[in-house]
Amino acid sequence: MTETDKKIEITGNEKPKIGVYVCHCGVNIGGVVSVPDLVENAKTLPDVTVGREYKFFCSDVGQKMIKEDIEAGLVNRVVVAACSPRMHEPTFRIACQEAGLNQFLFEMANIREHSTWVHMKEPEGAYEVAKDHIRLAIAKARNLAPLAVQKVSVEPVSLVIGAGITGMNAAIDLTKAGYKVYLVDRSATIGGHMAQLDKTFPTMDCSSCILTPKMSEISRNKDIELLTYSEVTEVTGYVGNFEVTIKKKPHYIDQVKCNGCGICVDACPITVANEFDLGLSTRKAIYVPFPQAIPSQYTIDMDSCVECGICARETVCEPLAINYDDEPEYIQVKVGTIIVATGYDEYDPTELKQYGYGKYPNVITGLQMERLLSSFGPVVGKPVKPSDLEAPHSIAFLQCVGSRNFREGGNKYCSRVCCMYATKQARQYKEKHPEADIYIFYMDIRAFGKGYEEFYESAARDYGINYVRGRIAEVRENPLNHNIIIRSEDTLLQQPIEVEVELFVLSTGIEPRADSDSITNLLRIQKSADGFFLEAHPKLRPVDTLTEGIFIAGVSQGPKDIPDSVAQAKGAAASAIGLMAKGEVEIEPFFAVIHPDRCSGCGMCIQNCAYGAIEYVDDRRFGEIASVNVALCKGCGACSGNCRSSAIDIIGFSSEQLNSMITKRE
Amino acid sequence: MSENVEKYIKRKVYKSTDSKIAQKFVDAGLEKLRACINCGTCTGSCPSGRRTAYRTRSVLRRALTGDESVLEDIDIWFCSTCYTCYERCPRDIPVTDMIIKLRNIAVEEGHILDAHFGLANKVFYETGHGVPANGEANKKWRDLRESYGLPPLPPTVHVHPEAVKECQELMKSVGFRDLLDKIEEQKEKEKAEAEKNKEEEK
Amino acid sequence: MSEESKRKYGFFLGCVTPNRYPMIEASIRAVFDHVGVEIMELEGASCCPAPGVFRAFHIPTWLVIAARNITIAEEMGVDIITGCNGCYGTLRDAWVELEHEHELKKMVNEHLAKVGREFKGSIEPKHVVQVLYKDLGIEFLRGFVKHKFNDLKVAVHYGCHIVKPSDKRPWGGECEDPTFLDEIVEITGAKSIDYQDKFQCCGAGGAVRTAVKEISADFSREKLENMRNAGADIIIDCCPFCHLQMDLGQMEANTIYKDMVGEPYKIPVIYITQLLGLAFGIDPSLLGLMKNHDLKGVSPFIPLEPFLEKVKEQLT
Repeated sequence: MTETDKKIEITGNEKPKIGVYVCHCGVNIGGVVSVPDLVENAKTLPDVTVGREYKFFCSDVGQKMIKEDIEAGLVNRVVVAACSPRMHEPTFRIACQEAGLNQFLFEMANIREHSTWVHMKEPEGAYEVAKDHIRLAIAKARNLAPLAVQKVSVEPVSLVIGAGITGMNAAIDLTKAGYKVYLVDRSATIGGHMAQLDKTFPTMDCSSCILTPKMSEISRNKDIELLTYSEVTEVTGYVGNFEVTIKKKPHYIDQVKCNGCGICVDACPITVANEFDLGLSTRKAIYVPFPQAIPSQYTIDMDSCVECGICARETVCEPLAINYDDEPEYIQVKVGTIIVATGYDEYDPTELKQYGYGKYPNVITGLQMERLLSSFGPVVGKPVKPSDLEAPHSIAFLQCVGSRNFREGGNKYCSRVCCMYATKQARQYKEKHPEADIYIFYMDIRAFGKGYEEFYESAARDYGINYVRGRIAEVRENPLNHNIIIRSEDTLLQQPIEVEVELFVLSTGIEPRADSDSITNLLRIQKSADGFFLEAHPKLRPVDTLTEGIFIAGVSQGPKDIPDSVAQAKGAAASAIGLMAKGEVEIEPFFAVIHPDRCSGCGMCIQNCAYGAIEYVDDRRFGEIASVNVALCKGCGACSGNCRSSAIDIIGFSSEQLNSMITKRE
Repeated sequence: MSENVEKYIKRKVYKSTDSKIAQKFVDAGLEKLRACINCGTCTGSCPSGRRTAYRTRSVLRRALTGDESVLEDIDIWFCSTCYTCYERCPRDIPVTDMIIKLRNIAVEEGHILDAHFGLANKVFYETGHGVPANGEANKKWRDLRESYGLPPLPPTVHVHPEAVKECQELMKSVGFRDLLDKIEEQKEKEKAEAEKNKEEEK
Repeated sequence: MSEESKRKYGFFLGCVTPNRYPMIEASIRAVFDHVGVEIMELEGASCCPAPGVFRAFHIPTWLVIAARNITIAEEMGVDIITGCNGCYGTLRDAWVELEHEHELKKMVNEHLAKVGREFKGSIEPKHVVQVLYKDLGIEFLRGFVKHKFNDLKVAVHYGCHIVKPSDKRPWGGECEDPTFLDEIVEITGAKSIDYQDKFQCCGAGGAVRTAVKEISADFSREKLENMRNAGADIIIDCCPFCHLQMDLGQMEANTIYKDMVGEPYKIPVIYITQLLGLAFGIDPSLLGLMKNHDLKGVSPFIPLEPFLEKVKEQLT
């Protein structure tokens, strides 16, 4: 919003002089209804001093027409009948402001989305509806009052939830611009799913090699307060001023005393499945998630620990760092912006009984294959069959497992990365075992990114990987050797085929985190139909949410590969920096205001407010009445609509203004 | 005509998307067929396809693209309606229902096996049963029933001639009788043509 | 059980059960009588109509005749019980479709009105196995078991239409790997064995058997080979058409595919209520297991003697 020297004095006592500007919007409006007739009709209404039409009022020429009328003193209220306010309300408000008229003396009538676009085939009806919309806008314009934009300061601190590749990149970029970051992750280490990957497509960069430098950077960075094994439990406030409560989960180990010797791990008698290796290996109840974990801290998994006391003995833990009585610690921080980068879960294919996962040992998921290929995984990078720990001579991959499924309860979306990761895993195995037969069963191969098509071509041409176009129907096990016998159609040959392989890899897709509701409830952001976090606009605002000051990035917004995740991390960081750099943010002045003389103190509004913006105050004159905290109020109107005493108005949408729109009929 | 021309020259033109068959599916509320991405799960699951030339996916693709020869293809009668494809289709297409609809369209055009036609026209229409126990030829089955202590005929349409009439009235009302008559006429015509051709060849 | 609380069902016979495999009908009547369930007759019922053939010829005819059969039970106010997967498939699919598609229901009732009938959707078509497993329950049935087998390997064949289409069946969507029929078999002490392609279709339905018998015979040949390889003593099924396909079809497989089959198959084919009835202590002659005639060319085509011997050995 621009500052201007021009200021037209509005005291509220002058007669309204309403200018009505009806836009053709090309043929969108003009091609359906008669704009000249709408203008003429508007001019017959009381208080309308000017009526004009133009092809595109949003253009410079159009805006100039409005400004000239304001500067000439012909109008002191502006009504534009055109597209949706979501398109050009800011445009026209700025135009008014630049001409010296308070920007809130502007009202927009949507006669495109709300009339000519939806009633394209019924021009007469569209005309009546458009006429009405204009009449309503004029009625409101009569009762508009000048308002001042509110400014709130923005705390120059950011909270990043999730410390995978996305969260870490966002955090680093934020510190480069000079902002402090709280980086929270509920796991005992940073790195996310990327730490589980072996090589990355298409360059075949070792994942750890590109990830661990970032992880070290995070741990060294003095402007990042790293809170691993922690969860955000409460968020109140509003853009620029979020109050965040973070729970630091107990490790049951004093990290200051602990010297990292690891003797406790050897001594611990409890062995459980290692979730980092997806059940392919084990760990103890006292553990470090993986060798290169940052921070390199030991944790006791209390759900598995039996408190036998062995690790606490002085002979085991010399520094006596074990503390079974450890409690969670809660801290409160104030931040100006929040970035959500909470990542994803892998799809669990157990329910697809025709593929035998969980029934036959030699059926594994894509991420499990990744761990087998990993040089610090359970078989140090030499994949073997779970049935006999021998290297398989033949492997089949099935694409789209848990993705592109329109059946009840299925994930309809494409998980985007599986075609490439299967090609990569197949290539990796072929490099170690050139004589092995490898099949990739697919419906489509999606190789959309930079270098991806070339990678796919090379996999077939150079490495001899067999791509079979057919979605596997069912498998059974060869009882003698646990081989997997596959039934599919080779659709390009139009033949049913049966193939026996030693290892069957289900290229499982990406799912939103099972507990993502904990984030949406906490931050009051939305999810789209597929369960990932909802962006403010699918094309133009991919990392914003509909809540100002809160951003999303990475796979938590939708399936994507590492380059796209990093791009979104940088985009979210830039957006957050944009807010924080200014130091203040403007808030529209549409808040609830309580008329103290009418308030009966019943408390209904306090209960109804979803934002906790209303509270009781002791007023000297009227006793205990409700009062609105303007900073928290979002102007939703829930309080106003429910007030039995008609004591609440939303500024800019007062009862008087709204009633004038619906009761006056000329 | 040169032997090689007959043998090797194939001028089949790919029919585009104005498939009359596809339109019939859409009109019947079965437009989901258009969502098929030809993944092949159906054919891969098909127990019949493993032992015949019937290809679930191909048959439906031919219907969708307007290849009307699929209506005369005997392969479409080799689906045993086991519903495995229906249960596994990732686009949630009720595949088996599509095959059944395709068969309906084929029958409408008179493409029905003689054995099936006889079953519908003579057995089902006349007796109300698909596998009857009345008549001289079925005496042993009535005797078998009695040997197990059951009445020779079950309490179905077999002992309720008014029920048979009811079924026939319904079949007339819903258009089945007309359909069977039309097919009968067509089959007689075809038989007469075939006889004539055989005569001419002699 | 008092008269009021006694469960009542309308018995839908279909075609194959009464007219080709009446022993199945006898065993169903005997078992339900034994456990105190009343089986009432659906007088004037016709062919369901058979889903494989008649639905394939003309869907509206199939829907109207199926609805007519349902109205017979509606007029009596009882749920339908049928022992045939095909009849179950037809009656249940028609019932679900008419419940959900108002236009279809209207169309069907316009025709039914001409014969003074109206489809209301007030009763549920159920399968014998559904009534045994869900309405009565395994524990209830276990209470009636008097004798148990101690060495009987059963190849259980579910067939198709009792579980699919799964969205119109009462098994919670389970169709790849159901266990309810195995559970019923195992309360008799018999062991349900695993065999390759256990849930594959028998090949009779879908108009295949009536189109080209050799194709359906190859379906049974494959299933029989898998059952034999797994060491099955008997086959248990819950559908008379599957029963026919595994029984008469066994003979057909032995002749048509003589060279592939080698040693002819001779696995006795038994219907679920026949096995259950034996465990309940019901006289085998009431279960259609004893042959008291000398008719030629009638079911069962594969001799039951090897099974009856085991019954004598293990159940007395």
